[in-house]
Amino acid sequence: MVSASGTPLVRLENIVKKFGPFTALNGVSMDVYPGEVHALLGDNGAGKSTLIKILAGVYQPTSGQIHVEGNPVNFRTPRDATRAGVGTVYQDLALNQLMSVTRNFFMGREIYSGPAPIGIMKMDEMDRITHDEMIKIGIDISDPGQAVGTMSGGQRQTLAIARAIYFGAKVLILDEPTSALGQRQQMEVLKTIKRVRALGTIAIIFITHNEVHSKLVADRFTFLSLGEVIGSGVREGLAGDDIRRLMAGGAEMADLEMELATI
Amino acid sequence: MNQNSPKRTESDRRAKESRFGRLIRRPEIGAFSGMVVILVFLAVVAGDVVYNPLGIKNNLSIIGQLGIIAIGACLLMIAGEFDLSIGSMIGFAGMSMAMMMKWGLPFGLGEATPLTAFLLTMIMTLGIGCLIGNIVVRSGLSSFIVTLAFLFILRGLTEVCFREFNEGSTQISGLPDFKQDDFFAYLFGGEAFKWVFSLFYEIGWNVNRRGEQWVTGLDARVAWWMVLAMVTYIVLSRTQLGNWIYATGDNKESARANGVPVRQVKIGLFMFTAFCATLFAACQVFDTNTADAAKGNLKELEAIAAAVVGGTVMTGGFGSILGVIFGAVIFGLVQNSVFYISWIDGSYYRVFLGTVLLIAAFGNENIRKRITGGI
Repeated sequence: MVSASGTPLVRLENIVKKFGPFTALNGVSMDVYPGEVHALLGDNGAGKSTLIKILAGVYQPTSGQIHVEGNPVNFRTPRDATRAGVGTVYQDLALNQLMSVTRNFFMGREIYSGPAPIGIMKMDEMDRITHDEMIKIGIDISDPGQAVGTMSGGQRQTLAIARAIYFGAKVLILDEPTSALGQRQQMEVLKTIKRVRALGTIAIIFITHNEVHSKLVADRFTFLSLGEVIGSGVREGLAGDDIRRLMAGGAEMADLEMELATI
Repeated sequence: MNQNSPKRTESDRRAKESRFGRLIRRPEIGAFSGMVVILVFLAVVAGDVVYNPLGIKNNLSIIGQLGIIAIGACLLMIAGEFDLSIGSMIGFAGMSMAMMMKWGLPFGLGEATPLTAFLLTMIMTLGIGCLIGNIVVRSGLSSFIVTLAFLFILRGLTEVCFREFNEGSTQISGLPDFKQDDFFAYLFGGEAFKWVFSLFYEIGWNVNRRGEQWVTGLDARVAWWMVLAMVTYIVLSRTQLGNWIYATGDNKESARANGVPVRQVKIGLFMFTAFCATLFAACQVFDTNTADAAKGNLKELEAIAAAVVGGTVMTGGFGSILGVIFGAVIFGLVQNSVFYISWIDGSYYRVFLGTVLLIAAFGNENIRKRITGGI
């Protein structure tokens, strides 16, 4: 049983977000604990993207409060969120293909000596850190000088995750990390997620469409539909059918089958 | 179940490169090979005129002046932008300096010295570079169009200024030879590496028909090119700014997401091409003591071509200073040396350069695809 004791690392309280007349989120609450994977599931348009963009500081909520480690916070820019320890790994990963692994890892945050921005980079130290940080979550990059364009999709995900953690992310938001990958790559990413979880200090919000993937790694689930939470719980409390039903936005599978049969 | 190698991981699928494999993947390797071929070819067909002291001086002069602007074009191209205004900027800067030397500083600031004329011109050209950069990053328009506009604007302004303030003539000639007694003018128009040529004379190579020393030294622009190349090499390959330049040109969205000041990098590099153009113009003005509204015509295209031949990818994110050095050598050498070969029509050099450019562009695209995996 996952312990729900202690303060959550992130607590969302009654988050409401309106875009003009359109209500994208209508009072969403969720708690995320360190050392846990929290799966955020829902159909397209359920409000998952809006929710993570609020958490990442891209949007400001219309009402509601975010708490990080018990303290209320107000993210006005993505930079605020990063500083507070919220690291977002978007689908495009923000990696540059033609640049080396190390240069990507430290992009914009290079280690250098001398006056900025023409300080000389400490390439050896940066290579070593990149290598060590990648090993921590399971990928041994033999050559930190290789171009990111030559890496597999799973390795790139790992690089982006390792980078976010190294630069201080306590909450890691993974935006559909498995969606654009092949089977084998998907498994690599799930393994990486498990290894990050095993570090014990980091909370992971895992956004996905894939019911199987969420069941493989998640400790806790929140289901969104039409901007509201329609179900949540820990892994043990949810049967497989519940997950499938809630993912489809609460529609009964049996109803669906019947509807399909009549066409 | 048939499991043959349980420990195989994703990273095992990538063969570790040998030293040689790594070498031939470098962006400048094509340009280097091309340069060697041309050097050998010239040695065979016209070695006595190309590689004598005067030939070396003349060739390096052409190479150096092209090299200066090619470095500017290369850095900007790595950051994903073009500057077609380089040639017009050369004309503008040359006009500005020569006019100040002849008619005095503007705004009633009195007599000009080479130093003040240079500094005032540099302030103007850096300002124009800053303006071009700001227009590009703020409007989101293609730098091709914005700098094309400035190609016309600056050339037109240069001619207008000449006619307005220079008694209707679009050229200035017969300025005093400032480099004789002004150190600053000598820095740009004088000679460098004199000791090398004295040494050549000592060993009996650099001797003319009367038995005196033949060539006294290289044009100063060669030294400027070398200094510029060294500084930019370190900046691009070793510094934080270098990483930002590559990141900006590769994918500016992800660079921005990671906190790279993309706009400042681009604006700074537009100012740097203006700086290179001004340096080019200063070397020309203080060497020949002349200026002409048509100076620098088409130089922007030669600079871009030299950068491409040197392995710079047109879409940005990939390239090197070593490559652009080799590119400038290929371009300058061929441009200058074909005229020494009696059995070739001199204009064939354009045919040759066009062909080399095309081959280089194919090669660069091939490298880019191999790296990004899109074969």
